[in-house]
Amino acid sequence: MPRQIPWWVGGISMSLLFYFTFSVWGADRPIGASTGMSYISNMIFGITPQESEYAAMIEESGAWEAVMLIGVFFGGLFMSLFVTKTFHISYIPTLWKERKNSSIRSRMIWSFIAGFLLVFGARLAGGCNAGHILSGGSQIAVSGMIFAVVALGTGMITGRFFYKKRRKADD
Amino acid sequence: MIDSIVHMFSVVENQQHGSVFLVLAIGFVFGAIILYSRLDKFEKMAGFMIFEDTLVPRMAMMTVALSGIGFYFLTEYGYATYDVKPTLLGGLILGGILFGIGLVILGKCPSAFFVSVSEGRVDALVGVIGGMFGGLAFSLGYPWIKNILGADLGKIRLTDFFQGYELTVILVMSTILLTVAFLIPTIDYKDPADD
Repeated sequence: MPRQIPWWVGGISMSLLFYFTFSVWGADRPIGASTGMSYISNMIFGITPQESEYAAMIEESGAWEAVMLIGVFFGGLFMSLFVTKTFHISYIPTLWKERKNSSIRSRMIWSFIAGFLLVFGARLAGGCNAGHILSGGSQIAVSGMIFAVVALGTGMITGRFFYKKRRKADD
Repeated sequence: MIDSIVHMFSVVENQQHGSVFLVLAIGFVFGAIILYSRLDKFEKMAGFMIFEDTLVPRMAMMTVALSGIGFYFLTEYGYATYDVKPTLLGGLILGGILFGIGLVILGKCPSAFFVSVSEGRVDALVGVIGGMFGGLAFSLGYPWIKNILGADLGKIRLTDFFQGYELTVILVMSTILLTVAFLIPTIDYKDPADD
């Protein structure tokens, strides 16, 4: 088995999964992930729909996405253990070492902050990469297009200031 | 905790969006594709935004191009219904900015970080924990936050501005996306840690 599929095989497989999920034979709804994160977070911190307006709003779609995310975890685990065999405990990505630093502490602090911003930002916007860019884009939704431009644009600008420039000698 | 997990499964079972088993299976395949295409890696997602890798934009463009056409025909023949998110300008712009900053620093999105955790990446796990607190802050702050989400432009689609030419708009968009996806040069960040 190859260790990685090319981008176009990934794109075709992803579309087939999207057709199935979106159609009445599948789930009759598009794929999304960040509402599920909110749902899991409410579950862990014991925020119930009775006491929180937001928890009541996402009760149904949040539960669906949370169950899907459980599947996502095991899908990734299965592939990393048996197909790509890339499972190993790691702390800092290689590219981070190259363009930022080699401190585990720094990577963990930034990961926590970034994870916070990701979910908080996704909830403000009403979706993330999956719900807004992939599912939204496929439905030609204006919200998805605005989100894609703002999020990716901000990401590129932030990346330019956050990471060190690639040194010529490295090329 | 056990009660709320049982409750979660029963909520899913009682909606018209597939059985619990089906939803788990959809997630399983979604996670498997993310891992097998290496979309969960920091080098791919953050790498794309700092111009070190081109996998993410190419794969995303191809997915949207093909799904756009497929969704149109599925809906046209009554096998699916469009489920469009509302365009709430304030929330979209502010949320998009915070999300973009988080995305380039963590280097994974809110389903890929679970995949990364399943591959043994501790930094992704810390990201998930940060995300839990992000979710908590949003739920607690919602009574105030909801005031800044507007202006609500409704559940609009680009095709709403081109009544009668829906298929043309979709075909043009998909053609552009596919062409760009194939024209973008292959930049593949080789991670020695994977060998």
